[in-house]
Amino acid sequence: MADPAPAAGPARLSVRALTKTFGSARVLTDVELTVRPGEVHGLAGQNGSGKSTVIKIVTGLYTPDPGAEFEVDGQPLRLPVRWPEAHAAGISVVHQDLGLLDQLTVAENICIGGYPTTRLGRIDRHRRDELAARTLDRLGVPLAPGQLVGPLTAAQRAEVAIARAMRDHTPGSGLIILDESTRALSGADLDHVHQLLRRIAADGSSALMVSHSLPELIAVADRITVLRDGRVVGAGLPTAGLSEQDLARRMLGSTVEAVTPREEQPAGSDAPERARPAAVTVTGLTGPGLTEVSFSLAPGEILGVTGLPGSGYEQLPYLLTGAQPATGGQLVTRDGKVALARGSVAACLRAGVVLVPERRDRDGLAFELSVRDNISLPKLNRLGHPWFVARRWQQDDADAAVRTLGIRPSTPSILVKQLSGGNQQKVLLAKWLNAGPALMVLHEPTQAVDIGARTDILHALQRAADTGVAVLLVSSEPEDLMATCDRILVYGHQVGLRPARATTPEQLIEEIYATNEATAGSGI
Amino acid sequence: MTMSDQTRQQAPVPETRAGTPGRELIRDRMQWLGSRYALLAVWLLMAVIYGFVTPHNFLRISTAQAIFGSQSPLLFLSISALCTFVVGEFDLSFAGVMGLAATIIPVLAGLHHMNIALACLIALVCCIGAGAVNAFFIVKLGVSSLIVTLGTASLYLGIAELLSNQNTVSLTNQHFAQVALHNLFGLPLSFWYGVVLSAGFAYLLKWTPIGRHIVFVGANREVARLAGINVNRVRAGSYIAASIVAALAGIMLIATVGGFDPTASPSYLLPALAAVFLGTAVVMPGQFNPLGTLIGIYFLETGIIGLQLLGYSGWVQDAFYGAGLVAAVTVAHLVRNRTRVA
Repeated sequence: MADPAPAAGPARLSVRALTKTFGSARVLTDVELTVRPGEVHGLAGQNGSGKSTVIKIVTGLYTPDPGAEFEVDGQPLRLPVRWPEAHAAGISVVHQDLGLLDQLTVAENICIGGYPTTRLGRIDRHRRDELAARTLDRLGVPLAPGQLVGPLTAAQRAEVAIARAMRDHTPGSGLIILDESTRALSGADLDHVHQLLRRIAADGSSALMVSHSLPELIAVADRITVLRDGRVVGAGLPTAGLSEQDLARRMLGSTVEAVTPREEQPAGSDAPERARPAAVTVTGLTGPGLTEVSFSLAPGEILGVTGLPGSGYEQLPYLLTGAQPATGGQLVTRDGKVALARGSVAACLRAGVVLVPERRDRDGLAFELSVRDNISLPKLNRLGHPWFVARRWQQDDADAAVRTLGIRPSTPSILVKQLSGGNQQKVLLAKWLNAGPALMVLHEPTQAVDIGARTDILHALQRAADTGVAVLLVSSEPEDLMATCDRILVYGHQVGLRPARATTPEQLIEEIYATNEATAGSGI
Repeated sequence: MTMSDQTRQQAPVPETRAGTPGRELIRDRMQWLGSRYALLAVWLLMAVIYGFVTPHNFLRISTAQAIFGSQSPLLFLSISALCTFVVGEFDLSFAGVMGLAATIIPVLAGLHHMNIALACLIALVCCIGAGAVNAFFIVKLGVSSLIVTLGTASLYLGIAELLSNQNTVSLTNQHFAQVALHNLFGLPLSFWYGVVLSAGFAYLLKWTPIGRHIVFVGANREVARLAGINVNRVRAGSYIAASIVAALAGIMLIATVGGFDPTASPSYLLPALAAVFLGTAVVMPGQFNPLGTLIGIYFLETGIIGLQLLGYSGWVQDAFYGAGLVAAVTVAHLVRNRTRVA
């Protein structure tokens, strides 16, 4: 059945007329998707566009609405998809977190779920190792079956996960689905895995790849299907000649003009900033991993802080806001003075310093409560009478936040867990903007959100700064920093904070490396 | 149940509301009502069925009085459990604390002829002490709440047995009984106390800053901490509050029944838990809530009274509460996964 000649025989996977509704909400409308034999097919779209719903239907987690048709190599697949049947037809999945057990060997990890057994039902170790070795060999992955998975590099771990997915496929057939599986990879590791995918496709197997990263999709996929609001807005676009802008335009629709945040402050505005009285002054902040940093922000200034991953600058937001105990340092705002070694979150909040943490699920929002409840939390004490919290201002605040930040769906009574990642991040931002801070400290506010949400978030920061809020943006995204910040400081292990002179993201990256190679000097 | 972790999965987002608005709105409204108040419909259905099967026994004022008039100690006890559950804590000792109060009062006032009000006050103070012991080990020292309260439950039971010499203790005082049993609108005062307590607790959680803070501590402790809430104070406070309400449950029990067998206190644990979990399926689906607990108590009692009128007795109570607990948790779990709008 499987014909490796591209586009000649039936499609490896063909999905037609796929619609899915949850209650009264329609999340997929008439989606079509065709993956050819021997191709890497990309699935692109913003958060909430329906990508993961498609994958969850193909893997049998969700039941599609009646009327959809699925075919694998020309054979119809029964709906809803029963995973054993889909697997037998040659579909396998590499999950986002790869699903590897660190304390087991490569062979054990590859063969999970399909251990060859002896006649007595015992695991046949010899055949297991042989199966793993054969799979690795076929994929051209130089790993020994007996190695432990724990110490492997990120790329090797991805290779093990892919080998597991390819284990049961006859060479030259089958489809592996990669659901954001390459998210943890970067640089050479990512190239490595991309090469593996290209080899798999060259052998005649197919891959369906979901990714947030447009450059990655363009680099590795043959064709890309783009979803927007649950509809296909680009069906199997060949990547040859396709630019990131083309893709982004399709994903975002009308919002594309706003992709690059504009520069709010005219260049060279540093000098007048310094002349204004500081809104916030931080002196001698020291804590675990961070050595004595001092800086100040003017009202309405956006200050960026960046550095090498692991150099310690990631601690700054938490030490500065009392979320983690500092060993020393002082924070002065117009609302008060906090000795950070003894500072608490409450003391920092009283001084008007709020934190938008990186982990919105763990530290940022109560996922089981509503958008409205989350947004009104910081103001409860101030606006609530001890025995009565009015509903009116909570509703008004939530409505305003939903409107100005473009939170979708626009129902403030919806639970936070039901929003997409980008919308959750907007709620988190709204929650702390609503508190009317003197200084807003943000850590990686655009991590794992789509382009549209990223633009909205950065614009919201600029608007907040326009109203006089001092913003400290701690981020590892050079493009965010260059687009948004009035000043950028680079943290180095030995040298503390140094002003960056970069005018492009590329220069900023070079400065980050240069600063961390330097060994002498002191912070500003 | 507002437990904080395992919330990473993202439900699909209803980006656009399709279809004609009027119809959809009505359907949404019905779904919303259904998800919140389905238990009331089941309750009614149960009453109708009993009414058909045994009309002469069930459809009487005295049956309604038996259902609504007898459960207030259990309601107080359930509210006590709720105090810790809403902040994401766990307490198995509340029945033991109630037993402590229900033993101390008759021992002091009955055996030693102490003033009843003073005896109640001493019982209350002892219970607060018991709650403080829980709080000390769990919040201050960070020991697992399951283990600590499992242990202290047995400890308080043992103390009660010591105080009572392992006998049933009793207290007969008309005036004291009237505090709970005085008839108001056809039902004893103790019923109305329970209604006021539940409504007051519900008000506290929804309409006061401290209540909202409590809910956030229960929903996500770290988020609450980073909003400047003193999480440990709220947690410790929840154990103290639970012990106070448990003491009140003990006072209600002595006032209405007039006596107590200390060895019986563990038997109050499961019914109270069943009501609390059943309560998460109604009013505010997926969340511990006092009004839901109130409904849960009388729902369960209706089921049991009906079965008793049909001639099943003794074993029915245990079986019904046990099965009720499992059914309640299951329903709450299913409701939680389906709820879209809070």
